Amino acid sequence: MRFRPRQLGLRARILIAFTLGTFVLSFLLSASTWGFTRQSQLNQREDLAIARFFGNAGIVRNRLLNVGAGVDVQQLLASLPASSPVLILRVDGETRPVNPGLRFTDQDLPVSLRTSVDEGSAAIMRYRVREEPVLALGMPLPAIDGEYFEIVSLVDVESSLSILAAYLIAASLATTAAGAALGWWASGRTLRPLTDVGRAAQAIAGGRLDTRLDGSDDPDLAALVSSFNEMGRALQERIERDARFASDVSHELRSPLMTLAASVEVLETRRDDLPERSRAALDLLSEDVRRFQALVADLLEISRFDAGAVQLDLEPVSAPEFIRQALRAATDRPVPVYVIGDPEELVVDLDKRRMARVIANLVDNADKYGGGVEGAGVRPVPGGVEIAVEDRGPGIPVEDRTRVFERFSRGGAAAGSRGIHSGVGLGLSLVAEHVRLHGGTVRVESRLDGETGARFVIELPPHDPALDDEELETSLDAPLVPRVGDDLAITAATDDAEAEAGVGPRAHGTLS
Amino acid sequence: MGTRILTVEDDERIRTAVKLALEDEGWIVDEADNGEDALELFSRNPTDVVLIDIMLPGIDGFEVCRSIRRTSDVPIVMVTARADTHDVVAGLEAGADDYLTKPFAPKELSARIRALLRRVRASDPGNTHLRFGDLELIPDEGVVTRGGQQVHLTKTEFRLLVELASSPGRVFSREVLLERVWGYGYFGDGRLVDVHVRRLRTKIEVDPANPRHVVTVRGLGYKLQP
Repeated sequence: MRFRPRQLGLRARILIAFTLGTFVLSFLLSASTWGFTRQSQLNQREDLAIARFFGNAGIVRNRLLNVGAGVDVQQLLASLPASSPVLILRVDGETRPVNPGLRFTDQDLPVSLRTSVDEGSAAIMRYRVREEPVLALGMPLPAIDGEYFEIVSLVDVESSLSILAAYLIAASLATTAAGAALGWWASGRTLRPLTDVGRAAQAIAGGRLDTRLDGSDDPDLAALVSSFNEMGRALQERIERDARFASDVSHELRSPLMTLAASVEVLETRRDDLPERSRAALDLLSEDVRRFQALVADLLEISRFDAGAVQLDLEPVSAPEFIRQALRAATDRPVPVYVIGDPEELVVDLDKRRMARVIANLVDNADKYGGGVEGAGVRPVPGGVEIAVEDRGPGIPVEDRTRVFERFSRGGAAAGSRGIHSGVGLGLSLVAEHVRLHGGTVRVESRLDGETGARFVIELPPHDPALDDEELETSLDAPLVPRVGDDLAITAATDDAEAEAGVGPRAHGTLS
Repeated sequence: MGTRILTVEDDERIRTAVKLALEDEGWIVDEADNGEDALELFSRNPTDVVLIDIMLPGIDGFEVCRSIRRTSDVPIVMVTARADTHDVVAGLEAGADDYLTKPFAPKELSARIRALLRRVRASDPGNTHLRFGDLELIPDEGVVTRGGQQVHLTKTEFRLLVELASSPGRVFSREVLLERVWGYGYFGDGRLVDVHVRRLRTKIEVDPANPRHVVTVRGLGYKLQP
């Protein structure tokens, strides 16, 4: 596999570019400043030294010419305004250096300078004596058969230059740091619209379809903002249209179903008066009306899940008590419930009526494909409470265990146990949706006792103590605001005629 | 005379089917296909229970409900499209006693009606007058007075109050109240209790926002302060 270095983030790249840019710029600027300053300082110093040198040399020559050998050369040299004047006189063909006892002596004069002066021309030279920068100047004085030299220390120039350098380095570093800070700020500024877009997109994905970006005056951003908002609007419109379609369908189906159910019931009360063939037909009719009703309820519930319009009404519930009640509501057969764990470990937050539908759907599925519910179990598991429903059917092969929770996948039909009830497999997908909305998971596995049969396992998070503090009437004070799953709420008010929940009738009907 | 039920429903087929089913229960059924006719029928015939579809042409079910409530404490069942919308709470606040979602089975409707028609019984026959501060209850007569003035409660509100008054100071969970007052089981809708408590408070409390009689017990339920 080819190695690919990890791509740096946009913000990091902007930051690096800013930092590098300011670093290079400030150091170039500092270096050239230092260079120019150094050059001009030295030149200035040299010009000054040369002017003084020639003046001094003239004074020395004139004195020696006019006064002759009687003059005190040492004193003369000492009176000159130069750091280290050196006079070399040739007396009787011998060179005799005269030095007023200052920091530099003739020994410190470079040989090449001496040589060029010996040859009769003035010379100037910059070099170091004992690590100290100096300027040496020399000229022959043929009138008195001598040579005049000066050594001028440049240490003050050098020290002021190094102070300048230190300042410049500090200033460059400060500028670089400022550049980095500016880069950080600018990248933040630049990326903020992108961050906003990301957050808005996330909100939309989470179901808050009316999320829009705030308008921008910036012409560079206005296009992005307006196209993003346009996208959001189109998406919302489309989803709402779909939801409206589902609601329209539901409205159309609700009334005939209602009439059918009521009429069948009227017939059922007279069932015993009917001839045998009519009775058989009535049984078929009433059975299928019930299935039709359940199917429509499931379809509508699914469409409401898709529209994100499902709101949970959570309350802390004892899981064993709940499962007993839900099973009693879902089936006439007594179902044993095996409970492991302390009651306080088994409290979960449920929308009782919705979760009762989950259990009803599992029971329904077991009836259709699994030979009926054999038992149910509740026990604490790490991270929550497990509710399991077992049947005594052929079980579900491993490869189908995810697929059964998909829509229209026909429950356990894959196991080949499809009987006369070729029911449409919406029940288990609704189970999955409901459980997911409760923050839980659902799976199917083999029975733990080794018998054949499927074991549907729902894992729910444990009770959230925050719910205890809630006022009983919270749901009334803010009836349209969901208490849970906030980001699932579709903000556009859903039509009243919309998808029928099907929660009430079933739960009420079976229990009252 | 038999029990008389008024059904208000604009869909003729549903109305007819429901009428047939309710008549099988031995009840007399009056029908109206809009709110105006319903109110007219209601004012003419003595009615025991009213069934109102929220969605009606002309004046809507909420308004019909409110109009009836202005003059009568008759039990009202409303029919909504969905259980988890504001409709339910709005309907209950308009004065309905219970609700059903469409499509419901007529058996369910008759069960609801029977529950609403149950007579209020005094929990303790010897104790016919109950007194709580300025509040006095006479269960057998269905009378409540506050500071000597009679307070008009609907049958369901009254039953709720009597239930709470049966053990003053005891906390009643929503489940228990649902079962005792409405005849629901474990899966009843707690909002019925909440809205009725709220309605009750506006009638019997001096300051409904700070109730002194019917008190909420956080996370547990309601109680009547002795």
